[in-house]
Amino acid sequence: MKPAMKADILKGLKKPPLGPVLTASKILLASYILLAIAAPAIAPQNPYDPLQIYGWEASSPPGTMGGGGFRYLLGTDGLGRDIVSTILYGLRISLMVSVTSAAIAALIGLTAGVSAAYFGKWVDAAIMRLVDLQLSLPTILIALIAIVTLGPGIDRIILALIIAQWATYARIARSVALSETNKSYIDAARLMRLPTARIIFRHLLPNSIAPAVTLIPIEVGHAVALEATLSFLGLGVPIDKPSLGSAVANGFQYLLTGQYWISLFPGLALFGLIASINLVGEDVRRSLDPRNHPA
Amino acid sequence: MPLISVVLGRLSQAFLLLIAMSLIGFIGVHSVGNPVFNVVNIETATPEDIRQATIALGLDQPIWRQYLLFINNVVRGNFGTSYIYHLPAFALVMSKLPATLELACVAMLIAAPVGTGLGLLAGRRSGTIFDRTVLRSSVFALSIPSFWLSMMLILLGAILTGWFPSGGRGTTARFLGQEWSFLTGNGLWHMVLPALALAIPNVALIARLSRSGTIEVENLDFTRFCRAKGLSSRRILLRHTLPNISVPIVTIIGLQFGGMLAFAVVVESIFAWPGVGKLLIDSIQLLDRPVVMATLTFISVAFVALNALVDLFYAVLDPRVRLS
Repeated sequence: MKPAMKADILKGLKKPPLGPVLTASKILLASYILLAIAAPAIAPQNPYDPLQIYGWEASSPPGTMGGGGFRYLLGTDGLGRDIVSTILYGLRISLMVSVTSAAIAALIGLTAGVSAAYFGKWVDAAIMRLVDLQLSLPTILIALIAIVTLGPGIDRIILALIIAQWATYARIARSVALSETNKSYIDAARLMRLPTARIIFRHLLPNSIAPAVTLIPIEVGHAVALEATLSFLGLGVPIDKPSLGSAVANGFQYLLTGQYWISLFPGLALFGLIASINLVGEDVRRSLDPRNHPA
Repeated sequence: MPLISVVLGRLSQAFLLLIAMSLIGFIGVHSVGNPVFNVVNIETATPEDIRQATIALGLDQPIWRQYLLFINNVVRGNFGTSYIYHLPAFALVMSKLPATLELACVAMLIAAPVGTGLGLLAGRRSGTIFDRTVLRSSVFALSIPSFWLSMMLILLGAILTGWFPSGGRGTTARFLGQEWSFLTGNGLWHMVLPALALAIPNVALIARLSRSGTIEVENLDFTRFCRAKGLSSRRILLRHTLPNISVPIVTIIGLQFGGMLAFAVVVESIFAWPGVGKLLIDSIQLLDRPVVMATLTFISVAFVALNALVDLFYAVLDPRVRLS
């Protein structure tokens, strides 16, 4: 990379249009990730372990002293689980599900898009019709249909999110790869009779990857929101291992009777997570977009 | 006739879309759970009862025959009978439709003028604090998951203040053979929170769109000419800028109206609003296949039809679309 270009990218990162809001969301996102990784070490309680939960302490308001020898800073939920611990463990599940699904969706979408561009003809037509079909419907509808089809469970929800998201990557990768397939290095590779898979994965894919990869952070944000929505509707992760979305859902019935803390705090954590991913993701996309850094 | 070929192309595309969706959806819905156990009592049923119920539901046939039967019935508007309510599935969906439609309409009646107005003002004064506030809050409004927005509206509007009811349709009045909430004061009062939950993301979307359109149009020669002519900026904004940015706004309103049908699933479940979306979630949880299929088919058809309409509207309005 030319030094001038590198300086441009650094300048782009240093002069964000949202200024302090962006810095704050970067710090917030970094701490979310750290908290999710460290959850088992720092959470006061393991919310998956029935032995650590006392049923009679269900729906305790924030600040109650618990039987486990620590204070429930944010209260407990309807089953007596400490809200702080539920948030930390839920964060792990939400991030794990959304990052995994976004990464696999990107991989599948990239391969499909690049293959469509390379093979052309009916392969292109078949893949792109499917992509058009998906992109013409709201993502939430696709995810709903997928989860109804697949049934509940964490692996199923990851699969549903992949199904809902791969098409976006495919469309972008195809448009980039279309112009790459006409370049002489691909002709050279073909003339050398390299295997097709090698041309696609070693030559075409690496050169078409950039625009789709810049989408990943934003799509992770969408995945967090989608997973939370599905879990909220009772179609996502199982209730005994709640994600942030199902933690909010668990508290919904208590909200109506005034026990606001059960869903308010996981909801705030979720909102902060989605907002910070979106802001940082948008910034990553903007600063990696070559159009913003004319050489 | 290029316009006719555009229309035909668009319609055949929509048709293929529906066939593909129905196939995927059918196979999907049929591979989940065994609905026989919703019809018979697991604890008391004899094997003979279960066999009878399986035959009665047509589940003993091979799956491709079930699909052909299903398509045959769908074309005739017959989605089978609900396992739970023992009513025709499609009629059940239709009976919930007025509630969903009136909610989406009221939400759009809030979102369209507010969003356009905010966008016009922000675009007119681009770069000011007002503009940046609109832009920033739109980012947040678009990134709030709709279920959490709904819950916060309930918390603020119903539980803490007690201004609005937290759920239900309230009093309804009869009109055109259907029950409607918007005709009674109490019904309208019940609509405020769910309609806001549907409207807020759309306000943000429409505001962003009309803001960028306004900025573009404000730099064109004709607006400069209007200004040179001495027209008031309000008149320029309403009589000259607004008509010029209206096509994309009308388009997004059409598209988002379809999107609202999908998002109604979330909002209706939270506000206990007895519409199509709540019916879908309830039926999924009760494994009521005919109703799930009828609802999903209906939402998809409505969405695809709306999209096609918007595209055609565009082709009629903008000659450039016909040429490409």
